[in-house]
Amino acid sequence: MSEPQLLAAPAAGPKRPGFGRRFLATVGVDNLSLIVALAALGCFIAFVTPLLGIDGGENFLSWQNLMNSLAQSVVIVGLLAVGETVVIVGGMLDISVGSIASLASVVSAIVVTQGVMGMFPGSVVLGLLGGIAAGLFAGTVNGLIVTVLNVNPIIATLGTLAAFDGLAFLIAPEGKPVGIVTQPDFTWLATGRFLQGLPLPALGGRDWPGIPVMFAVFLLVALVMHIVMRYTDFGRSVYAIGGNATAARLAGINVRRVRIAMYLFSGGIAGIAGALLTAQTTSGNPINGRGLELQAITAVFLGGAATAGGRGTIVGTVLAVLLVGVLNNGMNLLGVGQFYQRIALGLLLVFAVALSQWRQARSERARSRTAALV
Amino acid sequence: MVVDTDPEAPAPEPAVPAPPGTLEIRDLSKAFPNVQALDSVSLDVRGGEILAFMGENGAGKSTLLKILNGDYQPDQGTLTLDGSPLRFSSPRDARDAGVRVIYQEPEIIPGVDVAENIYAGELPRRGPFIDRAQLDRLVAADLHRYGFEQVLPLNLLGDQLSAAQRQLVEIARALKSKVRVLALDEPTSSLTDEEVDRLFKLVRRLRDDGVAIVYVSHRINEILRLADRVAVLRDGRLVTVRAAADLTEGEIVRLMVGRSLTDVFDRRRPAPGDIVLQTKGLTSDWHRSVDITVRAGEVVGFAGLVGAGRTELAKVIFGELPRTGGTIEVAGRAVDIRKPRDAIALGVGYAPEDRKREGIILIRSVLENASMVILRQLTRFRFVRRGLERRVIADYATRLRVRTPSLDQEIGKLSGGNQQKVVLARWLAAKPRVLMLDEPTRGIDVGAKAEIYRLIDELANEGLGIVLISSELPEILGLCDRIYVMQAGRITGELTGAEATEEKVLAFAMAEHLSTLVANSGESTTEVAP
Repeated sequence: MSEPQLLAAPAAGPKRPGFGRRFLATVGVDNLSLIVALAALGCFIAFVTPLLGIDGGENFLSWQNLMNSLAQSVVIVGLLAVGETVVIVGGMLDISVGSIASLASVVSAIVVTQGVMGMFPGSVVLGLLGGIAAGLFAGTVNGLIVTVLNVNPIIATLGTLAAFDGLAFLIAPEGKPVGIVTQPDFTWLATGRFLQGLPLPALGGRDWPGIPVMFAVFLLVALVMHIVMRYTDFGRSVYAIGGNATAARLAGINVRRVRIAMYLFSGGIAGIAGALLTAQTTSGNPINGRGLELQAITAVFLGGAATAGGRGTIVGTVLAVLLVGVLNNGMNLLGVGQFYQRIALGLLLVFAVALSQWRQARSERARSRTAALV
Repeated sequence: MVVDTDPEAPAPEPAVPAPPGTLEIRDLSKAFPNVQALDSVSLDVRGGEILAFMGENGAGKSTLLKILNGDYQPDQGTLTLDGSPLRFSSPRDARDAGVRVIYQEPEIIPGVDVAENIYAGELPRRGPFIDRAQLDRLVAADLHRYGFEQVLPLNLLGDQLSAAQRQLVEIARALKSKVRVLALDEPTSSLTDEEVDRLFKLVRRLRDDGVAIVYVSHRINEILRLADRVAVLRDGRLVTVRAAADLTEGEIVRLMVGRSLTDVFDRRRPAPGDIVLQTKGLTSDWHRSVDITVRAGEVVGFAGLVGAGRTELAKVIFGELPRTGGTIEVAGRAVDIRKPRDAIALGVGYAPEDRKREGIILIRSVLENASMVILRQLTRFRFVRRGLERRVIADYATRLRVRTPSLDQEIGKLSGGNQQKVVLARWLAAKPRVLMLDEPTRGIDVGAKAEIYRLIDELANEGLGIVLISSELPEILGLCDRIYVMQAGRITGELTGAEATEEKVLAFAMAEHLSTLVANSGESTTEVAP
């Protein structure tokens, strides 16, 4: 056997890898399959269904559809999924994100209509901050239950799923939705466009419909979380704890604090989603976020996160969110009934987890094989 | 690739007619991408003999076992049992042919009792129900036949079984049908000495019944005790097969690695420095009044039997397990360590015994695993300075000779020895005063062991205080300047490296009855002084 390669110290002035390499390194090899699936599904909806004589698919690639229906529809689930990614990578689960969004929706609506202690009613920033504050509160509760009381995360957040839902009704005056139709500044979050009317030559003279403000918020949050997870010591700790909490503790990582922080991220981001829900539906409705956790968790696992933790990326989650969005959008365009859509979504979650388990088993096999050989 | 075959090796097989039940292995080869795991291996495992397979990790033992178990199919070569060829496409086929491989960690169903565990999948039935009476009769007869009754209470559930009992369940499963070839893979790695004896008795008995037994282990002294013949593999080839009686420990090591391990134990250390770690009257749920001192530049061993409380002592000092009384001093200052990060902040490191469960994060990279402890020091505004991180870790990885394709390799894909080196790199990067190493060479091959010994020696010479916990006495005797012998949560003896011998250490380690008698009679807890 040839002398096994010793790790060579990096040569002086390493060559910068080519663009393809860097792109692949950023996106990740696992995520390539998601991009391929996304492209395939898009092509199927746009080009194949018209050939099959099904109406609706031909509208898929229109700017109207892509920027209005699709981009807007993925924002809320996308935000929840990005926050959920942090928790799942950290080896835990947060199924209360839908309820947190409901709670934050009501709180943001109240802040926007009444201001804080009567001051600054109608402020967009305060409305958003109100939602975030509600989300951070909920995240703190989740984090403390899981770490201090040591309750299994699934049970803990199943409990708070119900509790936050109830709380949202409790603080909504008379348990009714808080209307914000009279707050055009705030609804701008949902209706506004950046860069609208930009004359782009590629559009053939037509006006560029602009990027929805909501979608921009989603991309910004995703970018920030990508950086947090990939480039900070906090992100590293999340991966370490998700991969092996005992080893992380024995290496001096403050496991409890990082776990609480994971729930704070998940809760805070769900709070942003709640505020956007208020803007989108023009009311702080305590049922705004119901059931959204299913889609969010589906997207995280579809995006390549390991069920046991320690593996998963924000990029993967965002791609998976787009995939689920395209699937929903396509089914809407093609006129698939709501009930069928729910069945499809449920099956997708099971499929996503099965895929994640298969990946795990495969890597374990690879590991035991190499371990036997090296 | 040059394998110097043993010049004294006998001709392939003697011309004596094979006894019944002989497994003939002929020209067995198996390749994986980039590796020839087995390279035309030929030998006989005779019915009624115990043949031990030895070799470093990667020598081909695991591949051979997996072929016997039907997990892998050979690329070429044949297996023949009593003249009829064997061809397995699954473990089931192997079982049906009477070939069983017992792995280190058998599958035991946790919530089910011993009898049902043994007969899992083949429970006797009466209509739709389990025929409990019939089952109990069957199991009782099985256990009686092999003398297990005393050691394997039938009413225990799967998760109440000790490691040894789990092995016995797996063996009993194998024995309930006719076994002709039985292969055991590192069966003693988690057993106590007494359990090892019991297992050996059983294995010998099966041999006397005519079963061909393949025994794979890293523990040379066990092999010499148990095996009739020893086959040494290196780099996928058979180096030699010889009668165990003709071999010595040193010779086996030389055959396995092609060099000798003795040059490792070559201590010439300067006088130890100041005290870096000291406990005074330390008590915990596991310990009574433990006093130890560790000086800079000193290797201090914790010897004792499994369960003596050595690992727990390290964990109490490290803050992973609670201390109930006494004091710990680091570099002369009394400190209050409540959790691992307190210990780390004081310059105390601990590399745990169970690497996979407590030491490393299997699915993350070598780099991330190595930089865990010092990561905070490598950040600026919470951002990891990745260039700096890579340079720092690459330095340590080079020094420790970590063999990995790149720092981004998943650590789980490295061999045990290299994983251990990454753990050491993690701690060295943190520049500790005291480093506690718990069974640092468990489950790693001889070559890597030698490197780790050399490293311990080097680090001590540089002034690091090292605590070495090991169940391998030669390791303790060869490396340590001082040895504390523990037994039932107490220090029963202290020996200098020069005066220590296996007999003396064992005498302190097994002073059980003496010390418990003294303790129970309410007298002062007199130390059994050396």
